[in-house]
Amino acid sequence: MSINRREFLRSILAWGIGLIAARSLFSSLGCSAPVQPSPAAPVTPSPIPPSSTPQPLPTPTPKPSPTPTPSPRTSSTYLAVARGNSPATITETAIKAIGGIERFVKPGNDVIVKPNICVAYHTYEYAATTNPEVVTAIVKMCLDTGARRVRVMDQPFGGSAEQAYQRSGIAEAVRAAGGQMEVMARMKYRNTPIPDGKDIKSWLVYQDAIDADVLINVPIAKTHGLSRLTLGMKNLMGLILDPARFHSNLAQRVADLTSLLRPELTVIDAVRILTANGPTGGNLKDVKLTNTVIASADPVAADAYAATLFNLTGNDIPIIRTAAQMGLGRMDLKSIRIEELSV
Amino acid sequence: MSDAGRPQDNRHSPALVWRRIRISVQIIAFIAFLYLLIGLNNNGNLLLPHHLFFVFDPLAGIMATIGGREFIPVMAFGLLTLVLTLFLGRAWCGWVCPMGTVLDWTKGGRGKRLPGRDSAWQTVKYGLLFAVLLGSAFGTLTLAFLDPITLLYRSLASAVLPVINALITNTETLLYGFEPLRGSLDVSDAFFRSVIMPVSQPVYAASILIGLLFAAVLALNVVKPRFWCRYLCPLGALLGLVSRVSIFRITARETECTSCGRCARDCPMGAIKSEPDLVVQTSECTLCLDCMVKCRADAMSFAYHAPTALAYEPSRRQFITASGLALVAGGLLRLPSFIRGDKRLLVRPPGATEDSLRGLCIRCNQCVKVCPTGGLQPSVMPEGLDQLWTPTLVSRVGYCDYSCNACGQTCPTGAIEPLTLEAKRREVIGLARIDEDRCIPFVENRDCIVCEEMCPTPEKAIVLDDVVVTGKDGRPVTVRRPRVIHQLCIGCGICEYKCPVEGPSAIVVEPSEPEGRQGGSGNGQGFGRGNGGGRNAA
Repeated sequence: MSINRREFLRSILAWGIGLIAARSLFSSLGCSAPVQPSPAAPVTPSPIPPSSTPQPLPTPTPKPSPTPTPSPRTSSTYLAVARGNSPATITETAIKAIGGIERFVKPGNDVIVKPNICVAYHTYEYAATTNPEVVTAIVKMCLDTGARRVRVMDQPFGGSAEQAYQRSGIAEAVRAAGGQMEVMARMKYRNTPIPDGKDIKSWLVYQDAIDADVLINVPIAKTHGLSRLTLGMKNLMGLILDPARFHSNLAQRVADLTSLLRPELTVIDAVRILTANGPTGGNLKDVKLTNTVIASADPVAADAYAATLFNLTGNDIPIIRTAAQMGLGRMDLKSIRIEELSV
Repeated sequence: MSDAGRPQDNRHSPALVWRRIRISVQIIAFIAFLYLLIGLNNNGNLLLPHHLFFVFDPLAGIMATIGGREFIPVMAFGLLTLVLTLFLGRAWCGWVCPMGTVLDWTKGGRGKRLPGRDSAWQTVKYGLLFAVLLGSAFGTLTLAFLDPITLLYRSLASAVLPVINALITNTETLLYGFEPLRGSLDVSDAFFRSVIMPVSQPVYAASILIGLLFAAVLALNVVKPRFWCRYLCPLGALLGLVSRVSIFRITARETECTSCGRCARDCPMGAIKSEPDLVVQTSECTLCLDCMVKCRADAMSFAYHAPTALAYEPSRRQFITASGLALVAGGLLRLPSFIRGDKRLLVRPPGATEDSLRGLCIRCNQCVKVCPTGGLQPSVMPEGLDQLWTPTLVSRVGYCDYSCNACGQTCPTGAIEPLTLEAKRREVIGLARIDEDRCIPFVENRDCIVCEEMCPTPEKAIVLDDVVVTGKDGRPVTVRRPRVIHQLCIGCGICEYKCPVEGPSAIVVEPSEPEGRQGGSGNGQGFGRGNGGGRNAA
């Protein structure tokens, strides 16, 4: 085996250039490139019921904006609340009631499920992280509908992602259900313009969350020192870099971020809610068993309903109020059709 | 290969075969070392004990035992290495030591002739060994930074790997801008991250000093092959002393030897003196077997040898110089730092005290490597030379993860006590203090609350007070201001780490000396450690 240094370096260089060239060539021919958004028809990201005509979109990214205030004048259910002892069953029931997962996920879609896995400290019983059964029920439904790939991810602020995934019980459950846990990579945060942003016009946002065909937000309902509650829209802060800097003018910035990410579906886990010492938790006496799951295509309405579990209204929570004013959804629960189910 | 031009070489001669075996052992040991280094993270799952090389390092064991006045059972494995040396001489250096392997792979030619007698240079390492042991006796293991295993581990973990990590991250981020590459980057990143490289970029203030020392060792290797092992390595010196009575050794058969001097010229350790007679200095020989391979007369043999020669005969001047230097070095180390006084300046990892670190920490930096947030740093200077490169938590860089107790579990000598996660969560390492001249709700009357949000204790150690103040427009506004509950704060530092104020944090964690904890910053020799004690014990 005799190969001198120059030959070695030369062959490395040649291979490198060759591989890059081949890859670009293939992708330009449309042969490979598993990364490119699937050519399947883009899912309408606004919470408009499937009966209405889908807007023709030139490209799935960035998501169309501004979305008109979702119309509540519809025959189908705008927001569903399911109560019962089985987290998986109530999750399925709630989603079914608003039109089923097929309304949001089309065969071949690339789906990102974003639970709240904010710390690596406790198991899910402490209600600091989303219930694994709720997450897996959604993963399964997506895969059953024919989703090409379902990834579950969050960027914990306390502890490492892997430990948080593991301790929350979500990693094991998701893998068993056929989904993938993704440790969010530094390279994928890209400076992204927020065209509808009122306070922030751009931020470092996780590229995949924007590229994915469907983003399903699966927060857990908890208390929070500044926003009072952390629900669906605040949960989207797990998809950006440097979230601590968000806290000045938090409500507006979270609303701005929501206007960019526009999750297709929000499923709020209120099986257990954390009533004090949130968002980190750690005390079982602060946990209240409410056995509830809320589902809606409207992130504002979902949050507004969840606030009622804490004896608050959407108007009490600055994030919800601001987002409603921006036209990102409706917080007036009387004006929308809500279906409450017990199973 | 350099010996390709020598037709008389028998490719199957026993010497060649044995040398090939030696090189294979070196490669395996080095791969194991790298595997344990790279694979060490707080997720566990290593196939070998993470401190394998450290527990078999007799110098580390002796230092910690002397410095800590404490028998550390796991470090007794080092005795096996000493027993091996008693039989085979410095085989450790030539066959196992990953530092020696690195130097074998990076040496350049025969090197230069150094001024003065070679034997005088060889004596330096004994002086260093003496200094290391004397420092330990004085109660500080700072000179453990000269142990080759800790030297290599620390250099790779705290200086080389962070650079490689930054290189990978930057390359990935650059390439990620090209959309066609994203799929393959996804795959490669999933491979690099968490398996090979940490997800977050570690940054150490001590990297430069640690890296320079390593660079110096490598640079000296060009001056003379294995310069480090020949002249400086205190572990080599220790094993050299033991191997003076080793039972098997390499010798030249006088009947066969033609006194050509080839072996002496080529010995990578300078262990063979050819004038006037051919003598293999067992204390310098690492059993690399180069001489056996190169000898044209086949005169070199490795065989039983009655342990007679106990000759350690440095000149009197050498001995006095070495001892004097060692005394000065050892003494200097215990000079208290001029800025320290008797106050603690650094926040230490949970389960460690100033005394336990000074006397037991072999400066291997395994705890630094394993810390998932990168907050654990090799300390640079503030606590004085006697604490150089011991671990300290720099909360602005990284916090003590509430779900992690890896540093204590990783420490090979018990300098950081192996606390259970439950005990570690109660262990008070510092106390947060809000700087009301910097904190946003105090200075700007705007809400912030990040520190409260991040606080991990089940009952939050930071609470928010609603205060009515006069706003900019003269009207009263309500602002939520944070306040630290001293009885609940464990000093984990996540508040300091996450504080959004630019520059120094508006909330800082300072070392605390909670009542009920013994030990502390005294010079005593018992290391009372608040075992899950501190303020939260009740």
